[in-house]
Amino acid sequence: MIEEQITTYIMYIIPIYMIAFTLYIIRALKGPSISDTVLAIDAMTYDLAAFLVLLSIFFRSTILIPTAIVLALWIYALDIYVAKYLETKEMGE
Amino acid sequence: MVDASLIVVYIGEILVGIGVLCDLIGAIGMLRFPNFYLRLHAATIGTIGGAFVPLIGAALMAIGSTYLGMYRWFVAGGAIVTAFLILILAPAGSHALARATHHAKVTPVQPKVVDHLEEDGR
Repeated sequence: MIEEQITTYIMYIIPIYMIAFTLYIIRALKGPSISDTVLAIDAMTYDLAAFLVLLSIFFRSTILIPTAIVLALWIYALDIYVAKYLETKEMGE
Repeated sequence: MVDASLIVVYIGEILVGIGVLCDLIGAIGMLRFPNFYLRLHAATIGTIGGAFVPLIGAALMAIGSTYLGMYRWFVAGGAIVTAFLILILAPAGSHALARATHHAKVTPVQPKVVDHLEEDGR
């Protein structure tokens, strides 16, 4: 009974996340500068990490959990790389 | 006796609902705001309200869902670790990006009353 209730609730949650991801992707594609694109991808990927955890409860598979941790760390690396490039005009090593 | 796992699942579902609403509001704000420095507000709603709160809710939902067996503790622990990573890393990344954008003059600071950072820089 609790299994059916959780599955039904996540099934109603998924389309709202899809609408939000679509809006973030529109802003990332038409962003006037590089900062808007990076900011939109940043916010979208943090939400994608939360979405992956919900999907792992929905599909009853725990293989998606380390993906969320690594995704949150890599998008922080993207922020720092782009900020370093904008400040000093070089990528570092 | 009231089932304790059912209460935990209800609290988690309420947190996930709040997080999804914050996520949708942040996405609409990201699309509709006219400037980069105004879109930072929408990014704050989208990361802290849209990722940290539903991750805590998903951890509570995973603890309460007893049909997953012992693996539900793995799901809950991973969700809490991801939530606190996002709570620490998202403001740091946004601040670094905003500072670099202001330093490199990528976009003009449009609704501006006074800009002490630009006056100090030169």
